[in-house]
Amino acid sequence: MSAREAILRRLGGNAGDVADEARALLRAPERPPVDPAALAETFAERLAAPSVAASLERVPVAQQLPAAVARHLAQHVPMPGLYLPPDAWLQALDWRGIALDAAVTVDGGAALAVATAAVAETGSLVLDTSPTAPMLPNFLALHHLVVVRHETLVAHLEDIPAPLEQPRARYWITGVSGTTDIEGQYVRGAHGPRFLHVLLLG
Amino acid sequence: MTAGFKARAAEALADPVLKVAVERTAGTAETKRAAAVAAFEDFEAARTRAAAIKDHVIAHLGHYLEQFEANAIAAGAQVHWAETADAACEIVLDICRRAGAKSVARSKSMLGEEIGLPHALAEAGIERVETDLAEHIIQLAGERPSHIVWPAMHKTREQVSTLFRARHAEPHAEETIAAMAQSARRHLRAAMLGADVGISGANFLLADSGAVCTVTNEGNAELSVVPPRVHIVTAGIEKLVPSMDHAVHLLRMLARSATGATLTQYTTFYTGPKRGADLDGPEEMHIVLIDNGRTKMRDEGLAEMLRCIRCGACMNHCVVFRQIGGHAYGGTYPGPMGAVLTPALDGLAASRDLPQACTMNGKCQEVCPVRIPLPTLLRGWREKSWREGLEPASTRGAVRLWAWAARQPWLYRFGSRLAVRGMRLFGGKWITSMPLASGWTRHRDLPAPQGRTFMEQYRERRR
Repeated sequence: MSAREAILRRLGGNAGDVADEARALLRAPERPPVDPAALAETFAERLAAPSVAASLERVPVAQQLPAAVARHLAQHVPMPGLYLPPDAWLQALDWRGIALDAAVTVDGGAALAVATAAVAETGSLVLDTSPTAPMLPNFLALHHLVVVRHETLVAHLEDIPAPLEQPRARYWITGVSGTTDIEGQYVRGAHGPRFLHVLLLG
Repeated sequence: MTAGFKARAAEALADPVLKVAVERTAGTAETKRAAAVAAFEDFEAARTRAAAIKDHVIAHLGHYLEQFEANAIAAGAQVHWAETADAACEIVLDICRRAGAKSVARSKSMLGEEIGLPHALAEAGIERVETDLAEHIIQLAGERPSHIVWPAMHKTREQVSTLFRARHAEPHAEETIAAMAQSARRHLRAAMLGADVGISGANFLLADSGAVCTVTNEGNAELSVVPPRVHIVTAGIEKLVPSMDHAVHLLRMLARSATGATLTQYTTFYTGPKRGADLDGPEEMHIVLIDNGRTKMRDEGLAEMLRCIRCGACMNHCVVFRQIGGHAYGGTYPGPMGAVLTPALDGLAASRDLPQACTMNGKCQEVCPVRIPLPTLLRGWREKSWREGLEPASTRGAVRLWAWAARQPWLYRFGSRLAVRGMRLFGGKWITSMPLASGWTRHRDLPAPQGRTFMEQYRERRR
């Protein structure tokens, strides 16, 4: 008998409607309240919490995005070069005036990404991998810049729309890379980004 | 393995540095959890729901495992099953060998420790890079984890500094914790990017999508498993959840109970290997589903223990753990949850001291996000140890004698009258030493009985 058969045989079959029972377990879950009329304000508050520690900038229209990014880089990132994913929508904007890098090769660099959604409850950014959205630059960069479209803001984690097609990886980023592994003391910039800047569009 | 628990506990108690180190981390964790729970309305109801979700999964585990397997395979992952720790290690080593792996990057997984994966990789001559900061520290020190969330909590900053200075190419210039973390960042980055295989655990397995969920605060899981050609997941079969929304509820509980955060910094759902046109990701994804005693626990009265989501709150709030730290427990898992798990994993004969090392104050059960009745389960091990005759002859003899006397009321009353008066010979208010009581009086004074026995006073008042 294979290990699979042996384990499944020990666990035995199931009686009853498992799906109905599973759904019933999710009726009216306890969770932090979020005012649906104040999604952006709640999201901004969460980003500012010490455990998230992200900065936020409101950008009214997409055309102003490159200028906002350029300002942020000039003020906060001493190292030139920004990784821009091959996202058609992003590439259509005018990035002249910003030195771009094809990859994040040196520790200290910056990377930009576009979030699929963002969550007011926690300040989480939802990112999906795709042929135009790699994952690695967002962990190698010291400065991570994430574009969030206002209309993709949701109240709770359960409200994040299910993807049309399951991406290889979906990742929720809730703050900067941190560690409390030495004496419980919180240090930012463990392996991944030390700085997280959110550009809220619209 | 835990035959020397008393000796290890005594050694730990005598170590002032250990006490400081444990207190710094566990104390902070306790404070942060309390704040997070206070800010969450109806946390008690949320705990009940979390327990119900886990119980549902454990009752229908076969169903969910098969559903998860089908969806993971459909997404392109390869699913393996292992009944034992050795079988699991053999599957991992076989995948590594076929991949021609010289080095693996590993993201902290307690299951990996449980099945002895670090040792198995070393024996196979495969270089192992531990990428979690705490696991990196204990790898350099050649030690084992002392906590399931903070494996290096027994180390002080001074000890970490000495290790990094000896082993890092470009160690920290100043004696701050931030500078030490930077030193590890420099040291580990190249190693992570150069690994042939990335190994992670799983916090949750999502049945309805075949996704594997990992959570880290450092981002080391992602840096460990995205660059290599092969990603191997080692997961206990109890990690299943029906769907994303079930995982969400448990994630809220996990973060608050472990670190006091509203959510762990990086929560990632991996579904299969790299797709055709993806820009990064592994070419192969393997998921090893591991039993290692879990089906047996389910059938033999420990099903509630399978609810455990490994948050560490029980040990952070345990008065015994706070005194002796994690290593004294001798198993993979320390603290209250470890004292329940270790007898199941390593055998009760070798670990019968662990369920005894508990004051039954119930604090662990109060803070457990999935309401595991840890004191009850510990008492179950105590009873089993008695039934199986594992308690020492002196204890058995003394308890038998007491039981016999307790069944003869005249003798029992006579005996207690004698004892109450006799004990006063050893001290007025406090007894500092007395024959047969050294186990107690060596470490603390015993209050001397005042007045008469309860039965004597009862009779007098009834008159």
